[in-house]
Amino acid sequence: MICIKGVSKKFKNETAIDYTDMTFEGGKSYILLGASGCGKSTLLNMIAGILSPEKGEITVDGVDITKITQKERDLMRIKRIGYIFQDFKLITEMTVIDNINILRLEGVDTSRADEVLKSLDILDKKNKRVKNLSGGERQRVAIARAIVKSPDIILADEPTGNLNFAIGEAVIKQLTEVAKGKTLIAVTHDDRLCKYFDYVIDMNEMTGGRYDA
Amino acid sequence: MLKFALKNMGIKKVQIILIVISIVISAGVGVLAFNVSSQVSDGIESNAGYYSLIIGPAGSKTQLAMNSMYFTDEPLGTIPYSVVNELLADNRVTSAIPYAMADNYNGSRVIGTTSAFLKEKALGSGNMIDDKSTCQAVVGSSVAKQNGLKVGDVIYTSHSATEGSEHNKGITVVGILEETFSVYDKVVFTQIQTLWEMHDHGGEESEHEDEHMHGTVCAILVNTKNPSYAMQLTNEYDGKVMEHDSESFTLQAVEPMQIVRDVLSDADDTKYIVFVLCAIILIMNIIVISIITLLNMYHSAKEISLMRLIGISMKKINLLYIIQNSIIGLVSTVIAFIVSRLCLVLMGDYVASMGVVLNTSKVYLPEILILVGIFLISVIPTVICTFVMAKRDSLAE
Repeated sequence: MICIKGVSKKFKNETAIDYTDMTFEGGKSYILLGASGCGKSTLLNMIAGILSPEKGEITVDGVDITKITQKERDLMRIKRIGYIFQDFKLITEMTVIDNINILRLEGVDTSRADEVLKSLDILDKKNKRVKNLSGGERQRVAIARAIVKSPDIILADEPTGNLNFAIGEAVIKQLTEVAKGKTLIAVTHDDRLCKYFDYVIDMNEMTGGRYDA
Repeated sequence: MLKFALKNMGIKKVQIILIVISIVISAGVGVLAFNVSSQVSDGIESNAGYYSLIIGPAGSKTQLAMNSMYFTDEPLGTIPYSVVNELLADNRVTSAIPYAMADNYNGSRVIGTTSAFLKEKALGSGNMIDDKSTCQAVVGSSVAKQNGLKVGDVIYTSHSATEGSEHNKGITVVGILEETFSVYDKVVFTQIQTLWEMHDHGGEESEHEDEHMHGTVCAILVNTKNPSYAMQLTNEYDGKVMEHDSESFTLQAVEPMQIVRDVLSDADDTKYIVFVLCAIILIMNIIVISIITLLNMYHSAKEISLMRLIGISMKKINLLYIIQNSIIGLVSTVIAFIVSRLCLVLMGDYVASMGVVLNTSKVYLPEILILVGIFLISVIPTVICTFVMAKRDSLAE
């Protein structure tokens, strides 16, 4: 379970996020809707331990990650969180499998790589350089890297942002399929994808207030 | 980690090739300059200590000493063999070794002398030339190797020191010297009488200038009982005029150590200039290596931030880049060492004309230090960069 209490974050004196409470139950999928700049990505980055809030607390299974060191947050991210970035964050000069095996630097077991790539229909691209893949294929590689370690939590920042709707919908279907039984939090501005998630949160309506999923 | 480091290097081929070339140039030039200058100095000094003085025809002192000790250049001319007997009868003298250079065998110089000339050299096979016999030869190891000679083979020498028509009389190889990595490896040694016999045509008109060398030598290598006798003999023989077969010969006497000191003093100036140039090249390349490494790290910033975002710790990232640059440094210094040895092989013939045979397997301690230094220079900028990046880790802010 992920609990957010009274969290706020500012960038250059401009408030990016200011919430009181938010709770994400384990094993459920959530979609956060909202316009650009409403703090969706900032929220995900704070849950992932990439950013720290100015105030408030974020607990993951009872551990307040705002109170632990950056090293411990890094460890939590690599071991327990699968993060799918909006711009994929792939090394384009490397192959698909090398982009997944990069996790081995931190001792992550990537032996499921073939199985995961197969489930995402890109096993045949395994030894292709990422720069030679289409946007949809790159997105699947990013998903594969996020879920290969069987994380408890999957965070997806605009997973369909760079794709047309048809491809985006297919990717979301696959993502929700492979994320079954895990906590999935995806942010998007496309409300047509809501049907694939257990809960929908409209962030435009909750800044400064309380939201119960 | 190593596997990933290699894969990561594979995607930055151009930058890595540039770094490798810079390191190879720096390390290769430094190592080569040091090795050649050291081997030349060592090689020249090693032969100089054998003799107290050298007596030969008047002319260039350096040419006389270099020709009779290192077989370089051409002999100044000849002096009567009777001087050898005169010296051997002198109780201040412990040895007086005749020396003549006249012929060649497939480009290798043929020296007429006695077995005493080779007393410091070990035989790899066979026996030493018998001073009471003729037409025997002891050949240097390189000569044997290049010409496929073995003990018992008969060789035919040619007129003059470097080229000319072949003599009819054969010389039997009785021994092969052990490899010395000196100019002795490239020379054929025979009795002085053999040279006289080769050039003795019973008074017939000869087409060759050196045909009337019977009873003469190019130099006499003398050892005395103590250094003061050497000085006395130098004074006695330097400028002395002798008559032989109605010809007049003016002698000169030189102290080889003094000549070598003069030669090495000139060589030291050249060595100094070479070292200064090497130091400049080295400094320039250190700057280039550092800049390329820093640029490489700068271009890697995106890749590093990507790794940080997916959860790879700064410690692992630092280790990855240090491993990468260590591999580059190690491979480059090994290539530099191999290139320097190949250059030694290529320079071999040129340096041999100075009387020194370069030993490609000879490694001096400073060469190792240069290579280690260059290796560290190739790794240190990365360590500094990674240290700075760890301090500026955006995720820690």
